[in-house]
Amino acid sequence: MTFGRVLMRHVGVPNSTSLAVYKADGGYAGAARALQMTPDDLVELVKKANLRGRGGAGFPAGVKWTFLPKDRTVTYLCVNADESEPPTFCNRVLIDSDPHLLLEGVLIAAYATRTTVAYIYMRGEFCEQFHILQRALDEAYAAGYFGHNILGTGHNLECYIHRGAGAYVCGEETGLIESLEGKRGWPRIKPPFPAVEGLFRKPTVVNNVETLACLPHILTRGLDWWLSIGTANSKGPKMYCISGPVNRPGCYEAPLGLTCRELIYGADFGGGMRDGKQVKAVFPGGLSMGALRGDLFPKPPDGKVDPKQDYDELDCALDFDDVRKYDLLGLGTAAAVVVPEDADIRDVLLNVTRFYAQESCGQCTQCREGTAWMYKIAQRIRAGAGRRVDLDIIEETSRNMGMIPGLSICGLPDGAAWPIRTLIQKFRREFEQRIAAQEPGAAQSLIRRTNAAAYELPVLHGRAVQPAGGTFATPLDVAPPR
Amino acid sequence: MPKIIIDGHTIECRSGIPVLQAALEAGLAVPHYCYHPGLSVVASCRLCLMEMKMPNPKTGQMDWAPKLFPSCQTPVRDGLEVRFRSDPVRENQQHVMEYYLLNHPLDCPVCDKAGECYLQDYTEANGPATSRMVEDKTKNPKKDIGPHTLLYQDRCVLCSRCVRFCDEIAGTGELAVVGRGSRCEIDVLPGQPLENPLQGNVVDLCPVGALLDKGFLFKQRVWLLRSARSVSPADSRGQTIWIDYNEAGIHRIRPRYNEKINEWWISDEARFGWKHVHRPDRLRQPRIRQGVALQPARWEELPGLLRAPFAGVAACASPAGPGGGARLAQPPSLLGRGQGEGQGIGPLAAVLSPMLTCEEAWLLAKLARSLAPQATLVLGHVPVSGHDQTYPNGFTIKAEKCPNRRGVETILQHLGGPTASFQEFLAQAVEGRFRAAYVTGGYPDAWVTDPVAAALARIPFLVVHDLFPSALDGAAAVQIPGAAWTEREGTFMNCDGLLQPFERALPPLEGVKADGQFFYELLGQPGLFRAQTVRETMAAELPQFSEVFIPRDLPKRAH
Repeated sequence: MTFGRVLMRHVGVPNSTSLAVYKADGGYAGAARALQMTPDDLVELVKKANLRGRGGAGFPAGVKWTFLPKDRTVTYLCVNADESEPPTFCNRVLIDSDPHLLLEGVLIAAYATRTTVAYIYMRGEFCEQFHILQRALDEAYAAGYFGHNILGTGHNLECYIHRGAGAYVCGEETGLIESLEGKRGWPRIKPPFPAVEGLFRKPTVVNNVETLACLPHILTRGLDWWLSIGTANSKGPKMYCISGPVNRPGCYEAPLGLTCRELIYGADFGGGMRDGKQVKAVFPGGLSMGALRGDLFPKPPDGKVDPKQDYDELDCALDFDDVRKYDLLGLGTAAAVVVPEDADIRDVLLNVTRFYAQESCGQCTQCREGTAWMYKIAQRIRAGAGRRVDLDIIEETSRNMGMIPGLSICGLPDGAAWPIRTLIQKFRREFEQRIAAQEPGAAQSLIRRTNAAAYELPVLHGRAVQPAGGTFATPLDVAPPR
Repeated sequence: MPKIIIDGHTIECRSGIPVLQAALEAGLAVPHYCYHPGLSVVASCRLCLMEMKMPNPKTGQMDWAPKLFPSCQTPVRDGLEVRFRSDPVRENQQHVMEYYLLNHPLDCPVCDKAGECYLQDYTEANGPATSRMVEDKTKNPKKDIGPHTLLYQDRCVLCSRCVRFCDEIAGTGELAVVGRGSRCEIDVLPGQPLENPLQGNVVDLCPVGALLDKGFLFKQRVWLLRSARSVSPADSRGQTIWIDYNEAGIHRIRPRYNEKINEWWISDEARFGWKHVHRPDRLRQPRIRQGVALQPARWEELPGLLRAPFAGVAACASPAGPGGGARLAQPPSLLGRGQGEGQGIGPLAAVLSPMLTCEEAWLLAKLARSLAPQATLVLGHVPVSGHDQTYPNGFTIKAEKCPNRRGVETILQHLGGPTASFQEFLAQAVEGRFRAAYVTGGYPDAWVTDPVAAALARIPFLVVHDLFPSALDGAAAVQIPGAAWTEREGTFMNCDGLLQPFERALPPLEGVKADGQFFYELLGQPGLFRAQTVRETMAAELPQFSEVFIPRDLPKRAH
């Protein structure tokens, strides 16, 4: 299959951030075409293209736009450039090499949603990217693509770039809105949804950078071209990131539906594991979407499946549907991070829990306390003082943090719980081996040393049985030795 | 009135309220921390989650939705069916309670909140008996955040009620959440302590023992306290309060919900406006002037001592005949002072302090008029300080720092006859127009200025009924100790004409008689003074006093 890169076509092109280079390649033609259409036709087109949001949740962008109330007077467009999911850097690559593609997308989306003010909320750490985008925006303003009466159509659009301060939770759309308003980046309770009451209490659309970057291509290349790319329910090209000990870590563009194995081993992509190591685990969609096992047998190429055999999960196609079969939360940002076979799974757990304990915004109880507790447990397991019951506690905690929807205001605890739970479930055997290999009594002595109070609780004696799984009964192995 | 179904029971509720409020008003014990009816909804404690019936997208039938909904954020609508008694809801409550206690220091034995703490209550009802966390607890600091308030951050559950209170009700925004995740803390900015005039409310709002009143710190266990329904005399708005007291006296004042006036809040003036009740220099004994000094007297002799001179003064003042003057020529022994220099015969005056209750003012006015139909009735000194302060949410602190000016005025208007303002009274007193006066005080602060003292010194027979010694001591012929408002019962009419009753919390100080009881005895009425009875007789003449306003009680499990 031949696939020409579109989102990343300017990567490596000299001076690609300039308007001249972008225009020479047919730049802003999509916007010009869009401005000829009516906004409703444009929304209809994007709905037909089934352009699903690239930010993580995969919600169809066209449908999102239709949620705006019909009788609105003011609409805001927020561009989510707060790319903070751990192994993800596709927005950065895009802004680095092709800022005008994003700006053209902003222009099209603003026209479709009848927006006259757009905000690009940029991650605080994107320092260089901010200047690149600001320069590009200034150029676009000078060329008449922004401002008043764009290209003589009478459409106005002001665009501002706002820099965040580096909080993960500000990538959540309502957290982003709060932060943009100058408040603490605490996600809002929904309803009302941003489409009804968002930025400054006005109808607001929040779209991801990559989603908007797709719009010019849909317009210039046409719907048929777009629908010919990807799988049944996931259309279009996607930027995949791969990091970890692979030969060619980086960002690659491919049609949606690329398998995880291809991404790691494909010559055009990851190019295989460094030093011929095996894959232990992959987090294929950014950290939050969960882990895939890579340490088992690969499926035979002829497709014959032995039901008694344990196969690895690298054949997971990275689109919006297939990932769910592998107990992943979703496609996420399609940024895979590979864990090699010689890594200690306890390190992986520690890293994952540390990130969420650091980034939980502190609003909802489950997330605030649960992430910190799991981090503490992970630290102890890493220090060689784990208990088997800790795995149950982590699993239970991750379940009641985000497994039932509605337990918290935003999706962060779901995203925190999912990788931790999949790690524990899929690699439980390894965790148990590590714990079994600990010095005997390590857990007791460490607990006694660090937290004598917990150890000396008198209620621990003779308290009932420890049933299977996590419960509220006192775990037996905390009780002092008789 | 929408009808909703909670746990299978149909409940009729007010429209526009969240399901949680409806459930609480129906008497259900739904645990919650962040929800407060007076503040905006943040739905962050995640403790009040419930199950709700929604149309199933597949079948179109109403079915229990596979997720939980925050009941504080879901408005009631007719036919809504929810449940709290289900496994997912209960499991969520258990887990959240476990989370809350992970880093809680469990220092209930030394915590002021113990006994009325919702961490205790909810843990007992829903939570686990022991924590499964064996790691070290995160230790947050204890902070001094203002002149009246301490913050024990380690006990905080981050419900953000205090933050929202400062933002939305007080409008001052001193408090903020700083830090992220489990390192979140409530804090003030450096150099900007929590000292707005409503700040004490954050202590009541705190569902746990994180925010503490320095004045109440380590003073009492709350289960040793009793509460009396009272009305604050701090300003003329008539904020309703609970007085928490026991044998040792008053320990604190809390707001009592009042939908018409102060809602859930009170001003700091009202909150700390009880300290004078326990001042050691309170008058404790009636005293009468014998010679130059005031000598202790017994309560029993006072009615006789007072009635006779007052009646005598009244008789002189009456235009009945010139013989009146002759009768005063043999004044009662008490009138030892000033009789020689008296310029003409002045009438009798009764100064009704706006600190008196309506009933007391009524009795005193009646007493004066019964002794002398032409007695001058005076509205006492009305303390005013600054201007009315109105806060963003409409809460107002009145500049008028007395509870019952309107009530006394109403009575004076009704009784008619000679009345005077306090200033007029002083001017007339300077002119020596009065031969005898009964002056009531009862103010928490010193109120006798030099001009007042000088003017009143011109009255030959001055009876002073007050709480504290003052500059009038030298001029008074009789000094009667008053009872503080906590030691009396009655009603105050607030600045908007709302009549509110209050209960007695403490017995009067030893040696002191409640004002109303004393007036009762002066009038020669038998038995005990009961505000209710007096009010009924008043209502026969004055319909304004026929109805009192009693705010509705808050639902028991709400906080």
